[in-house]
Amino acid sequence: MTIMNKEIFIGSVSANDEIRTGYLLMTLRLPRSFSDPQPGQFVMIRIAGLQDPFLSRPLSIFAFSRGRSHCLVRLLYRVAGKGTQILAGLIPGSQVEISGPLGKGYTVDPARENRVLIAGGIGVAPLSLMARHLCRSESRGENPAVVYLGAKTADEVVGLDFLRQYCSSIRVCTDDGSLGEKSLVTRAFQKDLKKYDPARTAIYACGPKPMLQALAGMLKGRYFCQVSLEERMACGVGACMGCAVAVRDEKGDKAYRRVCADGPVFDLKDVIWE
Amino acid sequence: MRKVRGYSLLKSANKTDEALAVEIAGLKLKNPVMTASGTFGYGEEYAQYLDLNRLGGIVVKGLSLKPRLGNPPPRIMETAAGMLNAVGLQNVGVDVFLEEKLPFLRNYDIAVIANIYGESYSEYAQVAKKLSAAPGVHALEVNVSCPNVKKGGLSFGADPKAAAEVTRRVKAQTQLPVIVKLTPNVADISAIACAVEKAGADAISLINTLSGLSVDLDRREPHLKNITGGLSGPAIKPVALRMVWQAAQKVSIPVIGVGGIMTARDALEFMVAGASAVQVGTANFINPLATVEMIEGMRQYIKHHKLKNITEIVGTLKT
Repeated sequence: MTIMNKEIFIGSVSANDEIRTGYLLMTLRLPRSFSDPQPGQFVMIRIAGLQDPFLSRPLSIFAFSRGRSHCLVRLLYRVAGKGTQILAGLIPGSQVEISGPLGKGYTVDPARENRVLIAGGIGVAPLSLMARHLCRSESRGENPAVVYLGAKTADEVVGLDFLRQYCSSIRVCTDDGSLGEKSLVTRAFQKDLKKYDPARTAIYACGPKPMLQALAGMLKGRYFCQVSLEERMACGVGACMGCAVAVRDEKGDKAYRRVCADGPVFDLKDVIWE
Repeated sequence: MRKVRGYSLLKSANKTDEALAVEIAGLKLKNPVMTASGTFGYGEEYAQYLDLNRLGGIVVKGLSLKPRLGNPPPRIMETAAGMLNAVGLQNVGVDVFLEEKLPFLRNYDIAVIANIYGESYSEYAQVAKKLSAAPGVHALEVNVSCPNVKKGGLSFGADPKAAAEVTRRVKAQTQLPVIVKLTPNVADISAIACAVEKAGADAISLINTLSGLSVDLDRREPHLKNITGGLSGPAIKPVALRMVWQAAQKVSIPVIGVGGIMTARDALEFMVAGASAVQVGTANFINPLATVEMIEGMRQYIKHHKLKNITEIVGTLKT
């Protein structure tokens, strides 16, 4: 029999600030029964009673802290459509329905002491929680994580201040050179690739599909690389089969996996780019 | 004092529990609320949110003879008060279901209804046969209506003769109650309902999703890779109510209402229109507790209207 260990939480918005045009950081106050999230996990967020937009929105957990009486979950998100537009309009004190933490997050292999994080645009959201997680390990004398952070322009570089608290080595790239290097983030990483020994390196990435596909092309399955994928979702818990992603299964055959329940974090070498 | 109050509460709960019980084609349900096929997997995911024992029944994700890969993504798109899906009947296949999924459901004291699907009459029959031999399957629901798979689905459910033939083939393989799930994508729902009743169906459930299209204006492309998908959610409720009402007047077998049910009120509206029970689908996605909240709402309705049994309201629409 399955243990009933999941619930729908009522979250109270304590802040919801536009940190860059079209990018917001929401802080939610949740009951203490909300579990500690693994980096890469997400929540389904919804405004109760609303029928248009109808579905919950999946958002990666950007930051998390546990207080004596409550938990604080922070969500960094980009206004991409009707649902996120409405979320952007929430004022402190508003209530939302939250389900989570959901999905399978990134995993840390202690033997791989070189940790590389590659974020494209809003893909920085799950990797920020990962950066914080790795820095706790760093304090135990392990290697610092190296972050490659890319965006179209300086205006779309988000999460940098947060990352700076945890990571000493951050390479910022923009498509137009308005901040950091004028380069695609994957190209900047590729220049450094030979510095990283495949046997001792773990790469964690999140970003647009072309970025992840380029990464797959340059790593050729030789590196341990976990990527967080995005797909439209309805249920977020693995029931609706809506958020399919094509992967190679254990036998090497094509299969569809659920981004919400089998992911959102997948081994890059398993993903089939259709 | 507390004990006494506890006892009386328990007694009244038992009383309303009896008042919620319904029977469909010999299938006893604790209450009229089931989960609709394809929206509740094989029960495992939502068992983390709610006690499955509280449900009237679970209709599992549609099963085919062989596992099915399903459609390429994107498979879903949100629409006003609903969503389109073109999952393409991705499922583990009947054999894996029996070995790996059904044992989990046997842990619960609920009606398990296996939804089945075939690409030919013979496939329907084979799947029905395999499931009928398995302890823990209490009824079959025959999907003659899925609009997503190009070769099958639609053609069976849209033609009274084909729908009747599927029903006969399945009935010939099983002693279990057979529910035929109808597609709304037809001109005359009553004709199909009557055809499957005549062919031996023990009950009908309706409606499956309505065929729809969503357009990405910027790209001038469909949002779904499959181009069209099945519309579900509150947007389709009036259509479903109308079809349930029409079909219920024409058949004497029980009708199960499906389509956009979000609340107890919605479910009760379907019963008034002629449904003996209901299935809840898309509502689960936005609220995993939708079914149990609905059952609680029905309980309150029974109390408020002093009903002996919820079936008293079935088909009481004044026209």
